[in-house]
Amino acid sequence: MIGVKAGPRRGSTIARAGLGWLGLAILATVWQLLGMELHTAVFPTFITSLVAAWHVVTSSTLTTDIIPSLERTAAGFLISAIIGITAGMVIGHYETVRDWTSAVVDFMRSLPTPLLVPIAIVVFGINGRMVVVTIISAAVWPILINTANGTSTIEPTMIDTAKTYGLRGRKLFLKVVLPAASPQIFAGLRVALSVSLAVMVVAEMLGGGSGIGYFIANAQQSFNIDGSYGGVIVLGCLGWIFDTLFLMFERRLLAWQRGTVGGLLDV
Amino acid sequence: MSDSVLSIRNLQVSIQSRDGSMNEITRDVSLELKEHEFVSIVGPSGSGKTTLLRAASGLRPPSGGEVIFDQKPINDVPKGLAIVFQEYNKSLFPWLTIGKNVAMGAAEYSNQERAERVEKALIQVGLSGFATRYPWELSGGMQQRAALARAMVSNPRLLMMDEPFASVDALTRNHLEDVVQRLWDSSTFAALMVTHDVGEAVYLSDRVLVLSARPSTVLAEIKIDLARPRSQIETRRTGRFGELVAEVLERVEEAGRASVGIEDTIQK
Repeated sequence: MIGVKAGPRRGSTIARAGLGWLGLAILATVWQLLGMELHTAVFPTFITSLVAAWHVVTSSTLTTDIIPSLERTAAGFLISAIIGITAGMVIGHYETVRDWTSAVVDFMRSLPTPLLVPIAIVVFGINGRMVVVTIISAAVWPILINTANGTSTIEPTMIDTAKTYGLRGRKLFLKVVLPAASPQIFAGLRVALSVSLAVMVVAEMLGGGSGIGYFIANAQQSFNIDGSYGGVIVLGCLGWIFDTLFLMFERRLLAWQRGTVGGLLDV
Repeated sequence: MSDSVLSIRNLQVSIQSRDGSMNEITRDVSLELKEHEFVSIVGPSGSGKTTLLRAASGLRPPSGGEVIFDQKPINDVPKGLAIVFQEYNKSLFPWLTIGKNVAMGAAEYSNQERAERVEKALIQVGLSGFATRYPWELSGGMQQRAALARAMVSNPRLLMMDEPFASVDALTRNHLEDVVQRLWDSSTFAALMVTHDVGEAVYLSDRVLVLSARPSTVLAEIKIDLARPRSQIETRRTGRFGELVAEVLERVEEAGRASVGIEDTIQK
């Protein structure tokens, strides 16, 4: 046979995206059937919940709760990224700093977030700033640890090369350490993104004063059961949007890495 | 000696091992490298050749002795000194194209002059047209040529090479040796190369220094009086080439025998 082409190892992008939607459709169907079968107020059907979700995003809740939640998550995540990447690179690059800080880092990151919320409420009050601080207190660790790890495992030859070309201090970090550690940094950022969303909800439920977490808790307490399910759907969609945007961004920035991982390194 | 580019005087390097004890890698190495001279350092495996080169280039501080480059003692990698490492795949930055990698060596020039120098350096190593490729799109030999171009782009006075051809196959190695020879012939830089390949050292050098086993000293110095320019086939066919290789090899073997049992206890 002439012109035999190797088929793609994993199905085409369209087929794979299609499978994702099919999975969602199955979940929705099961939910719908279960809701119809149980026929109880505490477990509304999928369609009832979807309608409630639609009400959430089309009512004033959008501006009073959803947008503040998005802002807090974005702020908490971005501040975590700046702190985590900077501190992570310094900790990873200097062995002495690593020795000094490892116990502190291990202590801090082991503290469960719900434990910190009451303290944050005392310090900052019931507001958005408390939510942002709580997000940072949880999301900074996966970024910091992955960055430190990625930095400490950079090939010494690479650092030597950078020094040969006069890169020192800030330039060394920005031009060599940051890109060299970026695959691990992105892995940490992705974990931190889902942590940010989860902590945002918990903090808002416990004392946000507003926000989607506050809305869900409030709807539940005022027997607006459909509303809380609607809120959950909205939250799930937000998580999905965040992750999709993140992956698009990562794919652009780490395009160089696909070739090196593809086994072409030692031709 | 005013015409020497590099003077290494009684260089001593000890490295602290994990358990805190000091390991003497280099005991006493001295060397004068004259303008446009090509000197190779060979030694048995584990004789601390890479450590010596790192100390001589200012990448690590020596424990004793001093290194004078261009009349000035160095405590950091000085301007005018370029280094090519063995592991091109760890030395080229994988997130930068070949052109941008090479441009790293010419950061101090204006944009226009930098572009011109990069273009010229890539032509010199036979990589013109590859500026927009990424390192992983190139073969090993091509990547090492890119690393050479990066070293050459700033017109260094001294080029240091650490086992520059150890990671490629034999034919590519011959080819790369000739690329280096051509660069050296057509330029004015002095070269200091560390290698375990005796044939390669003889083929390229004016002088070959043989290091003893660790803690290393200079065991012998062999002058290479082969005519230049040299050619892989004609030069290697001559009886003199064979004699010189045998002579160097004999000294390396001597050094190696003395070190059986302690070599390779620490990574090179």
